[in-house]
Amino acid sequence: MKSLIRRNYEKQPIADYPDYKSSSLRAPKNKNIYIPSSISEISGPKFDKNIIGKLDNDLTLNYSHNNKIPIGQKIIVHGKIVDQYYKPIEGALIEIWQANASGKYLHPNDQSNVPIDPNFCGSGRYITSSDGSYEFRTIQPGAYPYPNRGIEWRPMHIHFSIFGKSFGQRLITQMYFQGDPLIKLCPMINSIPNEKAKKSLISSLDLSLSETDKLLAYKFNIILRGYNQTFFENRKEGL
Amino acid sequence: MKNYDNFFDETPFQTAGPFLHIGCSPNSIGINNIFKNDLGVLPFEKESHSNFISISGSVFDGNSEALNDVMIETWQCNEKGEYIDGQGFARFSPNAETKKFTLRTIKPGIVKDLDGKFQSPHILMSISSRGINMNLNTRIYFEDDDLSNDTTLSIINQKDKINTLIAKKIDKFNYIFDIYLQGNKETVFLDI
Repeated sequence: MKSLIRRNYEKQPIADYPDYKSSSLRAPKNKNIYIPSSISEISGPKFDKNIIGKLDNDLTLNYSHNNKIPIGQKIIVHGKIVDQYYKPIEGALIEIWQANASGKYLHPNDQSNVPIDPNFCGSGRYITSSDGSYEFRTIQPGAYPYPNRGIEWRPMHIHFSIFGKSFGQRLITQMYFQGDPLIKLCPMINSIPNEKAKKSLISSLDLSLSETDKLLAYKFNIILRGYNQTFFENRKEGL
Repeated sequence: MKNYDNFFDETPFQTAGPFLHIGCSPNSIGINNIFKNDLGVLPFEKESHSNFISISGSVFDGNSEALNDVMIETWQCNEKGEYIDGQGFARFSPNAETKKFTLRTIKPGIVKDLDGKFQSPHILMSISSRGINMNLNTRIYFEDDDLSNDTTLSIINQKDKINTLIAKKIDKFNYIFDIYLQGNKETVFLDI
């Protein structure tokens, strides 16, 4: 029977992580109860490619007014969505959100005294092609201060939400940037107890793209859960 | 039968933070010019179903405060117990003032599972927000259904815990389902 590979919590953030203050009143005190995959978890919403508009993955243009472009350094963020066997996932919905170049979110909850950019909303989405690849054009997000243990600074980051093939593969995470000195100070990334797992959230500078003579590119591959692979009568199942 | 355990680690989760609507439901915060519709506004086309129900509730933190910055996502089958492409997904947040959410949907049917067993009608739910490092998964069951043979509930196997997953019936079309992140009514969250 088809089932998801069981989640490894040693490579996932600790729910109740005291250095990240907001988790103290929101992290459940009891452990999650394991249930084996049923058809409910291995099915999931499918999103039609025709919902994606031409500029949905170009944040440098999708909120531009009167042909003006946002302020800041233009970058490419690209990569692949694969499963735990590195098999590309076609049709995965990726939604991203981020701060502008000054470190300000276009959101009523962001009360900071930092300017919005009238030509940048920080929202993008894409549905992966057959090789699982995606690409966004955006502006390098700024770091910004936020209240935690006193005032702390978030490293530059982009939020990612991904739907693969099933509800059990659902993932929400953040992508960081290679070389950012704020990463090692960040309690949100440090809530992950495994160094290799932390590093997997740091995108790497990618000079291989032909357009790097115009703009820098960062590569960020994302691994969603796979399905247990078992052989019955020499026939592969769950692939 | 052979198991293959050479696989890569799943990418780690990070909190969705307080600004998730920018990416997941921009129209709900006034970013109206980029995507035509927010996704998951209607889990089923209203015209095709006469038997819509409402499930309302709040998400409470450890101080018993109702939260309004969470995003809730649900996934369910239709009334015949079938998971259908393009149907069954909803995404919503509590109202900023009342801090109550309402999911308008159809009551899911009994689900025949892969092993031929039957699951009681249920809706999967995922909760994301600031302070939640990894989405919380749970299930909604319904008070007026036979829950005695459901696999998931039999694994939980404690009446007070099972009760946290059961929507209370108000009338034919209305249910209440509150979520408690902590405290003596803490909702059961599932490792799915």
